[in-house]
Amino acid sequence: MESRQTSALSPAPALVASRPFKLRRNGLPVQIASRIGSGLLVLWAAVTLSFVSVHLAPGDIVSLLIGEQLRTPEIEAAIRAEWGLDEPVLWQYLRYLTRILHGDFGRSYLLQTDVSQLVLSQIVPTLKLTAAALFVAILFAVTSAVLTAGRRIPRSIAGALELTLVSTPSFWLGILLLYLFSFTLKLFPVSGDRSFSALVLPALALGLPLGAVVGQVLRQGLERALEEPFALTVRSWGTSGLVLRLRHGLRHAALPAVTLTGWLVGSLLSGAVITESVFGRPGLGRVTVEAVLGHDMPVVLAVAILSAFTYVMLSTLVDILYLLLDPRLRDEGREAAR
Amino acid sequence: MITRRTLLGGAGATALAAAAPSRVGAQTKGAPVKGGSLTWGVETEPSTLNPHLNGQAKAKLILRNAYETLLARTPDGGYVPWLAKDYAVSEDGRIYTFTLRDDVSFHDGEKFDAAAVALNFTKLKEPTYSGSISAGHVSHVSEAIAVDPRTLVLKLSRVYAPFLDGAAGIEILSPKSFASAQLKAGGPEIAGTGPFRIERYVKGQEIRFVRNEAYNWAPANAGHQGPAWLDRVTYRFLPEAAVRTGALTSGQVDVIEGISGNDAGLFKDNPEFTYQSALNTGTPYTLYLNATRGPTEDVRVRQAVLAAIDVERVIRSVYRGERQRAWGVLTPADTDFYDRSIEGSYGFDPKRANRLLDEAGWSSRDAEGFRTKDGQRLSIEIVQSQATLRDQRDVLLQAVQAQARQNAGLDLVLRYVDAGTYTTRQNDGQYGIIPNSTTTQENGLTIYFHYLPRNKGGSINYSRTEAPEISAWLDEAASTLDTKKRFEIYARLQRFALLEQAYGLPLYVPEDQIAASARVKGVGFRPFKRLPENAYDIWLQG
Repeated sequence: MESRQTSALSPAPALVASRPFKLRRNGLPVQIASRIGSGLLVLWAAVTLSFVSVHLAPGDIVSLLIGEQLRTPEIEAAIRAEWGLDEPVLWQYLRYLTRILHGDFGRSYLLQTDVSQLVLSQIVPTLKLTAAALFVAILFAVTSAVLTAGRRIPRSIAGALELTLVSTPSFWLGILLLYLFSFTLKLFPVSGDRSFSALVLPALALGLPLGAVVGQVLRQGLERALEEPFALTVRSWGTSGLVLRLRHGLRHAALPAVTLTGWLVGSLLSGAVITESVFGRPGLGRVTVEAVLGHDMPVVLAVAILSAFTYVMLSTLVDILYLLLDPRLRDEGREAAR
Repeated sequence: MITRRTLLGGAGATALAAAAPSRVGAQTKGAPVKGGSLTWGVETEPSTLNPHLNGQAKAKLILRNAYETLLARTPDGGYVPWLAKDYAVSEDGRIYTFTLRDDVSFHDGEKFDAAAVALNFTKLKEPTYSGSISAGHVSHVSEAIAVDPRTLVLKLSRVYAPFLDGAAGIEILSPKSFASAQLKAGGPEIAGTGPFRIERYVKGQEIRFVRNEAYNWAPANAGHQGPAWLDRVTYRFLPEAAVRTGALTSGQVDVIEGISGNDAGLFKDNPEFTYQSALNTGTPYTLYLNATRGPTEDVRVRQAVLAAIDVERVIRSVYRGERQRAWGVLTPADTDFYDRSIEGSYGFDPKRANRLLDEAGWSSRDAEGFRTKDGQRLSIEIVQSQATLRDQRDVLLQAVQAQARQNAGLDLVLRYVDAGTYTTRQNDGQYGIIPNSTTTQENGLTIYFHYLPRNKGGSINYSRTEAPEISAWLDEAASTLDTKKRFEIYARLQRFALLEQAYGLPLYVPEDQIAASARVKGVGFRPFKRLPENAYDIWLQG
């Protein structure tokens, strides 16, 4: 799934690698300040890297805008002047940074529309899709892990299913779901962002492969937890197997799965491209791919900022989840302060 | 001195076509019923909804619902009145006078008059508004004058034969639109005069039109007069062919366009559906050989490529008989200028291909069976843009590659590239072959873009020919209004370019396909330009 990411969509791998990042209760203002500071740094790095890579990619923007139409010096000059491309690259970069600080993301070269409006109109359907896909993924992962962990035959069936889902191209999975549930059984509509039922199939197509990856990690964690001494203690109280798994085991198994999920959610954004196109859904994914191919700098940069922002938010969220899930991390902070 | 060309009483063919409504493929059995909504699954989402700035042939069927032009066309290339009731060309071919209808209004309530049309032409000449388009037809206009509200005069700087075709096809927007913030992206604020107006656009999903109740100015050769039958029509963007097919068979959309050769059988001879196809005008999907670089610089190698490939067989097997083999520099749909005497005059001849390559010095073979000269393999790089890779063209190119290897020991290397790489390669001439097809709105004009030197207007001259005889012929053809003479010149160019110089190998004729549920009536193709028509004449049975 990662291989499909475009450069604009996978910023700040360093941030992911720096985990586990431990929040401490003491010195919280300092912690928050450094969090915001590193967040801003990531945003700036994402913008700068995207700017540089679009400039390094083959083909210049004027040629792409002219395409295969007639090309005359007057037209070139008019295009350069219109988009401010007649200035030195460094100047374009600085001017762009200044404009962003004023909340002005510019106008799309290709679509001729205001970028903020474009991104805002496309982010809602993408968020709906990713949220629904995440729900599907978690539901699938938890169900499959809880029901099959430590049980030999169910485990191997679930494992095979997960492996199939992970290795199925999402294009093909989408077409297959459509063929079954939309074209043949006519349960769900094929396309658009119109109703809840239109969200079901794309969410499954996008969420199932993610759920399969997380499910495998979660099952392994759960199996480890069930072998630990505390599991025997809990069993000795007469607790049923399911309650043990849900209330005690999951919590132990969740840490690596949460880390992985936090990271994979970012990849949902890039996976959304194919899902959006198969299901004829609006969304950021398609807009981004077209912008990258067409060197549509304002859109590329706006998406880079947005996805860097998403990553920063997600990693913070994952850190907070860590504290909630594992009291030892909270205690560590207290001990260090003592 | 002005020669008046009366549209309705004039040239026989024109009058005939105007009297008998003749839409290609239109089914008009039973009495049309007013009302209902239609959903149409389309492949391509318009990059902009402003018809002036949108160059996508595939977007026309959508935009023509809201935007209209001065004249309409007949199947044989004649003109019929639309927003203009009549037109005249001065004897020296430099002054065009259009007499406009006086009962037309724009969607935003503004009156359609000569000043509005003149403003459209003036705006289009500004590079800041229309970019490269300003260098096209309108660049020949020196002045656009509204003589009175109903009379528009366009003065040309010099005679330019394709002008009427171009000018008659420019969509007229309301003057207020040019002040709108939506101008470049298009949208509901950009008002036209069409039978429908844009109601709602959801980027990435659909565009919905609602009937214009005031509409009463359909072209004389439309299926009916007065407002459209449908209350609403929605175009849903479904980029995947398999998804469009499934959406139609499961009844989620009423009409689709763009049907793969494999799926056509589902709708053909099936009473629940109708299926129709029409060849595109413009140029066929052609392998253009770079005559200025690499092995293809040698005319013998180029001729060998043309002789080495059994085009007939490749097309039949890749498209299961659903696409037509191409022969000329234009497609047969260009009724004015296609010279069919080229058909069968060249073609598959492996003996000739091998003889030519031996003569050119590519006589030894390497371990893999490819021809070599001085230790170099006979490799020709095919650079295909991913953006135009549709209609199973990847499969087609692989079949061509296999044939070239098998029949003549030619090594065709396939490269699928992104838009940026493609423009760079195209501009620098770093390729052996570029495959391409163009669907133009202007008959014959595409020849200029393909065969003039690149710095003199040949923006898509992929063979990179600068042959002086071609330029001389094209100059001659552009300065005459005599269609027969233009035909002869283009025919001479076709023989020179394909038979003598082998600048390109035409493969197949691109076409449009429409499949619809049987209750959808009146769906079909535009006369002459052959692209799918808008929803004006469509009605729903029962």
